[in-house]
Amino acid sequence: MWIVLKIAWRNLWRKPRRTVLTVVTISLGLALLLIFFGIGDGGHNQMIEAAVRMGSGHVVIQQKEYHAKGGIDRLLDIAQKQRAEEWIRDMEPLFPIQHILMRTYASGLASSSDGSAGVQIIGIEPQSERVASRFDDKLIAGDFLDSMSGNEVILGEGVAQRLDLGVGEKMVLMAQGAGSTEIQSQLVRVKGILRTGLEESDQTLVLLPLAASQEFLNLGEGIHQVAILMSHSGPSTQVAEMGKKRLPSLEVLSWGEAMPELVDFIRIDNGGNYIMNIVLFLLIAFTVLNTLLMSVLERGKEFGLLHSLGLTPIKRFLMILLEATFMAALSGLGGFGIGYALHLYLNIHGLPLDLFYSGELSAVGVTFDPVIYSDLSAGRIFSSLALVFLLTLTLGLAPAWRAARSGNIHLLGRT
Amino acid sequence: MGSKEMILRLQDVSRMYEQGQETVRALDNVTLSLEKGEFVAIAGPSGSGKTTLLNVAVGLDRPTQGKVWIRDHYLNSMNTHALARLRLEEVGFIFQSYNLVPVLNAEENAELILLLRGVPRQKRKTAVLQILEEVGLAGLEKRRPSELSGGQQQRVAVARAIAAEPALVLADEPTANLDSETALSLLKLMEKLNQEHATTFLFSTHDPRVMKRAHRIIHLVDGRVDRDEPQPSHG
Repeated sequence: MWIVLKIAWRNLWRKPRRTVLTVVTISLGLALLLIFFGIGDGGHNQMIEAAVRMGSGHVVIQQKEYHAKGGIDRLLDIAQKQRAEEWIRDMEPLFPIQHILMRTYASGLASSSDGSAGVQIIGIEPQSERVASRFDDKLIAGDFLDSMSGNEVILGEGVAQRLDLGVGEKMVLMAQGAGSTEIQSQLVRVKGILRTGLEESDQTLVLLPLAASQEFLNLGEGIHQVAILMSHSGPSTQVAEMGKKRLPSLEVLSWGEAMPELVDFIRIDNGGNYIMNIVLFLLIAFTVLNTLLMSVLERGKEFGLLHSLGLTPIKRFLMILLEATFMAALSGLGGFGIGYALHLYLNIHGLPLDLFYSGELSAVGVTFDPVIYSDLSAGRIFSSLALVFLLTLTLGLAPAWRAARSGNIHLLGRT
Repeated sequence: MGSKEMILRLQDVSRMYEQGQETVRALDNVTLSLEKGEFVAIAGPSGSGKTTLLNVAVGLDRPTQGKVWIRDHYLNSMNTHALARLRLEEVGFIFQSYNLVPVLNAEENAELILLLRGVPRQKRKTAVLQILEEVGLAGLEKRRPSELSGGQQQRVAVARAIAAEPALVLADEPTANLDSETALSLLKLMEKLNQEHATTFLFSTHDPRVMKRAHRIIHLVDGRVDRDEPQPSHG
């Protein structure tokens, strides 16, 4: 077997330029694949992060049917809130939690002297929400709410524009309170204006302190939602499944269940990426096949010689597969080296898409940072390497079979 | 002669090829046998069936009819794998060209059969260095085929053929691509090895100088054995 290995390795370098070109082609293909995955996953993760921080969190706990039907009266009472908190405490050692956010939601009307606009009124805990939702970065005017805030609100940029309101100015909020059909109204003062990056939010968002919203909307101690933020979105499905078992009377959703349109977008985008990758790999496949096939076809006499000397067909088959394996290994190393180096660069400095596009980038209502940071998981790296290996080995099968069959009996001629 | 070990035996062997609509009879009822230590030439003009005979003799080609034995191995009943194994164990080859594996050096080429046979490293190295010295290639062990002359390449091929001490060495026009002096020196080497190792040689040729050195000449005409005669000078 050693001799087969030795011949295979040396055969690879018989035409070094051809081998180097093939290895470089496969390496670049693999590097591109890794970068596509890194940028794709990085972009998706940034979208998810932007969406979950302003939306549902990675996992959300709420009253049954709240996701589908909403409703001011579908509240988590004190006992339900406590049960949710207990479960979160139990789960935390397994899945580190960054933030737990209590929120209320209501649809209402905001009016100023310049007009009125339909708004979504969200009651929040200012201290936690400020850090969790990174509102300081998004504040374009005024200050964020604090523990002292009473009847102060933060407006989305679009709401402020529509009502022609600035920081310090007053407006009236109107909404239906819980447990009654009466419309509640309250005079509030604008403390700050946000640009969230979520188009819909910017046009409708009104944030006010949780306690103020509970009082305004007649909610008592009730809240509509407990949103859990983790360090990353990966385990959210698993955590939500655990929550469903532990809190069967409540609705526990992962971000994917809470925002199915975002999941669909990512799926479609991934589908497009996969097609690109397939095209890329088809091009590479032809290069590999060409190299291996040429290498076998031009060595017909040599295989005949080896056949005559007693090298069995299986060993000739293995010899070509070994050549393909060596080529795959070299390409894997090269491609991983180039791809990972590029990934590291793009992970730190990002890919500035604003070089290619002007204006904001948004999809499914999520405006995302035009600088995309590569995010490459070990799974993606291993699957890409495995794909290159499998592809090269599979493409080596036909030439190997040919080599096994090409024990040219007419090596000696026919005289 | 009768008490000597039988190395190769062909009995009523014919080999036909289809060429378009025509059937070509490359071998026609050939019967012959070789005993241990013989140095035999197969002579005949181009197209007389010399190479087909060599191919069929060692299982590189199958006879259309007739039977072939190497020692007590009956080739007709063996599959491709078994035939490859048999060649590895019993036969050494010297071809006219495409002799050596181009990516291996002289020592590795000479060592190839021993390696394939699984001979231990130390024993292999000793045998190869000794045989390379014997064929006059001491000092050229690390050279690749492209760095050797035609004659030197044939010597490596001879070294490879006999390194594993096969029962039979088969050579197809071994001197065809060599100049007279190199050809003569190669023949002398083969003869010396035949005498010293009692290795059986069967080679095809149409070169009278080569025939002169053979101990026995089998003349082929149109695929048939026309004459099978010992050389008086060696008889």
